[in-house]
Order: sequence, then structure tokens, then C-alpha cells
Amino acid sequence: MKKLGLAIVSFAHIHAWNYAKVLKGMGSAELIAIYDDDEARLRKASELFNVKRAFDDYGSLLRDPDVDAVIITSENAKHKQYAVLAAEEGKHILCEKPIATNLSDADEIITKAERSGVKLQIAFVMRYHPATVEVKRLIGEGVVGGIRAIMATNHGKYPGGWFGDPSLAGGGAIMDHTVHVADLIRWYTSSEVREVYAIKGVNLRPELRVEDNALISLELANGVVGSIDCSWSRPDNWPTWGDVYLHIVGEEGYIIVDAFRSNITLVLEVALAAYKSIGLGRPVKLPL
Amino acid sequence: MMLSLKGVRARIPLSDEEDTMGKVGVAVIGAGFIAQVAHLPAWSKLEGAELIAVVRRSEARAKEVAERFGAKYYFTDYLKALKLEEVDVVDICTPTYTHREIAVSAAEHGKHIILEKPIALKLRDADAIISAAKRYGVKLMVAHCLRFWPEYVKVWELVKEGRVGNVRISRAYRISSLPDWAPWFPYEKLSGGVIVDMGIHDIDYLRWLMGEVVEVFARGRRVREGIEALDYVHVLLKFKSGSIAYVESNWAMPKGFPLTTYLEVVGDEGIVVVDNRSTATLTVEGRGVRKSYTPLGEDAYYLEVKAFLNAVLEDREPPVPGEEARRSLEVALAALKSAKEGKPIKLPLREEVIS
Repeated sequence: MKKLGLAIVSFAHIHAWNYAKVLKGMGSAELIAIYDDDEARLRKASELFNVKRAFDDYGSLLRDPDVDAVIITSENAKHKQYAVLAAEEGKHILCEKPIATNLSDADEIITKAERSGVKLQIAFVMRYHPATVEVKRLIGEGVVGGIRAIMATNHGKYPGGWFGDPSLAGGGAIMDHTVHVADLIRWYTSSEVREVYAIKGVNLRPELRVEDNALISLELANGVVGSIDCSWSRPDNWPTWGDVYLHIVGEEGYIIVDAFRSNITLVLEVALAAYKSIGLGRPVKLPL
Repeated sequence: MMLSLKGVRARIPLSDEEDTMGKVGVAVIGAGFIAQVAHLPAWSKLEGAELIAVVRRSEARAKEVAERFGAKYYFTDYLKALKLEEVDVVDICTPTYTHREIAVSAAEHGKHIILEKPIALKLRDADAIISAAKRYGVKLMVAHCLRFWPEYVKVWELVKEGRVGNVRISRAYRISSLPDWAPWFPYEKLSGGVIVDMGIHDIDYLRWLMGEVVEVFARGRRVREGIEALDYVHVLLKFKSGSIAYVESNWAMPKGFPLTTYLEVVGDEGIVVVDNRSTATLTVEGRGVRKSYTPLGEDAYYLEVKAFLNAVLEDREPPVPGEEARRSLEVALAALKSAKEGKPIKLPLREEVIS
């Protein structure tokens, strides 16, 4: 069977670089083309991933017959234009979350994909994490009884760049960090959110034009209550990028998932000193 | 060791004999769970205090506790303890719904008061306790133990030293199974439910750390079968400073679930986190013991009772006066009201929430 020909549309989102990496090792798909509206980024990605077909014109990429599907990893506000054109050209779409920055753009993407008969998937990567998948299985088995409440956090650092630009990101921490756990809550409860109450505080980074901390309280149609802390409240020197944490309260038990809890600690300087010591065959004093 | 008795002496004439003993006489009213695990061990360690009496409804249990902690007397009627001249202070550890009656009576008898949290379930009961203490010139402190909890005090100190810059967002949880050591917890009219009984710890602490709360939004559920009060509540708090906080109080965990507490304070220059589960420096499970904790310093209850004793001895305002506890109660009641009505509640509260 022919490998699926994939194109990455824009390296604006850091996940684009991850997608390019994982595609290298995939037997059934191949990264054959890339597009970016930033010339320097296009050149860098082309060299780094050894992709010959590097387009600075989106239409040319879409006309490439070897491209079966696109992965859209642009700034949030540009998802719609790239996705709609891709659908019109009959290309399948994997789009980075959030689907768009407003509901009418989201509706347009969905309608276009349906009419054109292309697959449309939004990159809710947390549905593929072994721990969160196991949670879904456990809930399905009824081990905690009916779910009554879920506390969730998706903390992060400030991602920088266009994430601080409301016209490109569509918002700040709320836009960036609500949807992953909101999606998990919908998935786990098989219910839809029917009411939201939220508050935002004073920014941790006063120079930002978007909110960097906020708290959200939800109520679902089936009566489950939930909370989400979507804040970019981790400082730049925090040891990990952030967290995806859920405490699920059932009538007969509970599940806690801390999907990215760090369980390996590497203290780089000590490791480097160890290499140096091996090389020199003698003890090495710190700091290096 | 001779101790100053200024605070006690100012209002309660002591005989020469008692004066030379130099000890504050203590009666513990309501010698149940919290008294036995926290207050009585603390009083018995304090040199400046002497345990005069314990009061419990069951005579056999009152006698047992009195013997175990070396109290001179035991009673089933708290008025008998209040009438003893050698009692200078009373430590009230009875169920919340009895606080007003006992505390007001203690004030009328001229006894200084340390009162378990929450101060009361109704604002008018809190007011009655506060004004009785004022009228009769006795000290009143409410036992909000987090203000003495070594890790929480350390976080407070770090924040006040400016180590995280300006505090912008905090999270605080308390997660456990339903308390099973007394029968009144499941009923809102008796305990206030999880947010008023347990959430008030974090609410009071966050007020101490971040200032006054101006608006509250909460959602709650009855998770465990048969519970009458809310046993799960989450609260979004807005402070006068514009900063925000999340509080979660949960009694819905299965029996045996170890008390889990978490505190995260984020400022514009840093973050500080205390998590009693993943940072435990000591975990033990054995015959009758199941404990996991982070012993940073001395026992919080000892420090709490000692702070009250010192306020009495030195005739100073105790560190958590009634007014502070009333404000924390007000925030907890606003959360309960919000959870019931499904809308944000602005402070101050204009009416009672628990009837």
C-alpha cells in the first residue's frame, strides 16, 4: 500500500517540529512537503527534516498531487484559511487545537470538510496518552461508579511569540489551555458542558496583551461539575513545561491522573561531570 | 518556672497560692476527636498551663480522658467547669452548632476562650460570641490551625518576604473521606458541610495570605450516598487586589483515603508549592497508624495553643481573633450560597445561609 503523503502547514506552532520528527519513523506515512509563510522558518524546517518540497505558496502545495493530507500547525487564527482551502483541494486535515478562534470559523471548517468528503481531525493528543486512555477504560468498566465531579489543571509556561498576540492566538491561556482538559472531561463523562463560569486575575506578566491566568468552573448536562485551571502559571525555569492533571470523583471511588508527572530527574551538570570524569579517569570538581 | 500572669490577673483575681503556681488553669470542653489528637496533647506539654477539667457528655469517657491527660476534674455539664475559679481559659472543641451557647456562657463566666473552627454556622452566632468576649473582657481566639502549620507558615513567610513577587493566583485543596469520628458532619445544619467545616481552613489561610475576598463563585455536589450536606465543593475566589484563587474541599473519597492537601501560590516572580502527598518526608502505615506527612517543624496544634496561652499571659490580642474567623466564615457561607443559587456572590453577605 502506498504511503500517505503528508504536508506540514506552518511551523509556527512548536508541535509542528514534533510532528515532523515522529513522521520520520512512521512506516505508513511520509512527510513529503512543507509550507510556511515565514521564509526563515521554512528554510530551517526544510534543512532540518530534509524535505525537498518546501513551498512559500500555499496554493502550490495544495496542487501537489502527492500530498494526501495536511497537518495544520499555524497560528490559531490562520487555521480556518488553511483548512478550508485544503478541504476544497480534497486534502485530509489534521488540525492543531483549538480548531479555530471563533465558532463561525470552526463551523466553516467542519462544513467544508464534510462537503468535500475529507477527514478532519483536531489534534486532541491527550486522547492518545496511555494514562488517559486507561482512565477512559476504567470509567467504562464502572470501577468508580457514576462520575460526579472532575478537577482539572493544564498549567504551562508562557509559550511566547504569537501566543501573546490576541489577533493570532485568539486569546491567552484560556484559548491555549482549556480545550485539552475540556475535551477529556467531555470524553470521560460522555456529556456536554452546559454552563461555564470563569474569572481571570491580574497577569503574572503585565506586559502581555492576553490573559495568562484564569479559573474556570463547569457544569455538564448530566450534572457533573468540573473545574479547569488553564493558567500559564509556571515560571520559565520550572523543571517541566507544565501539567495535565485530573482528579475524577466518582460515587464509588476516584481516579487521579497526572499525565506528565516527571519521574526521571536529570541534573545535567552532574551528568556532564560524570562524562568528564570518565574521560579524564579522575574525580572532577563542580561547578564545571 | 515563674510565668507572668498579667493577662489573667487583670481580670480574674487569683489567690496567692495559685499565683505562686504561676499556671493558667484550662478546661477543655468537648473532649472528642480534635481535643484528643490535637488540643489535649498540646496543653499537657505546655509548662505555663495546667489542665483542670475535661467535659464530655458521657461520664465514662470524660473520666477516661481526664485520667489519660491528667486533668483534676471531669464533668458532663460544661457549666460546672465554667464555675471553677481555678479555670482561667476554656478550650471549646464541641460540635460547631454548640459553639455560641458555650462560648457566650464562658465569656459571662470571665473565661478566656480558644474555640475550634469554624467560629459558628451563622454570622449572628459569630457576632454574639465576639461581642460577649468584648463585653466581658476575655480573649477570644479561633483555632484556625493552618496559621500555625509549619509548611503553610513557611509559604506565608516566603510570600511576605517577596520571594514570589506579587501573588496573582493560588490553589488550595483538602481532600478526604467523610469524617467518621462524630455523627454530625453529614448534616448542613450541624456542620455546614464540607466547605464550611473543612474548606474554611484554606479560605482562612488564603485570606491571611492574599487579603480580603470580594466575590465568590462555587459549585457543589452530594457525592456519597445518604449525605445531606454538600461533600464536594469547588470555589473560585476574587480578592480585593484583583488576584484570584481556587479552593476545593472534598469529603467524597473512599474510607481510608489519606487526607490530601495541596497549596500552590503563584506570583509574578515565582511559585511555591506544598503537596502533602508527593513531598511527604515521612510515611508510616502500621498497627493503628496510617500517616504520611512532612514534618518541617513543631506540631501545629502545639504552636496554636501556645500562641493563645502567650496572648493570655502577656495580655495581648490573640493571633486569630473572632473577627478574623467571622470573615472566613462569611466567605465559606458565600461559597455555600453560590453553590445553592448557581450565581456569583458579592461580599459582604447580607443574610444568613444556614437556617
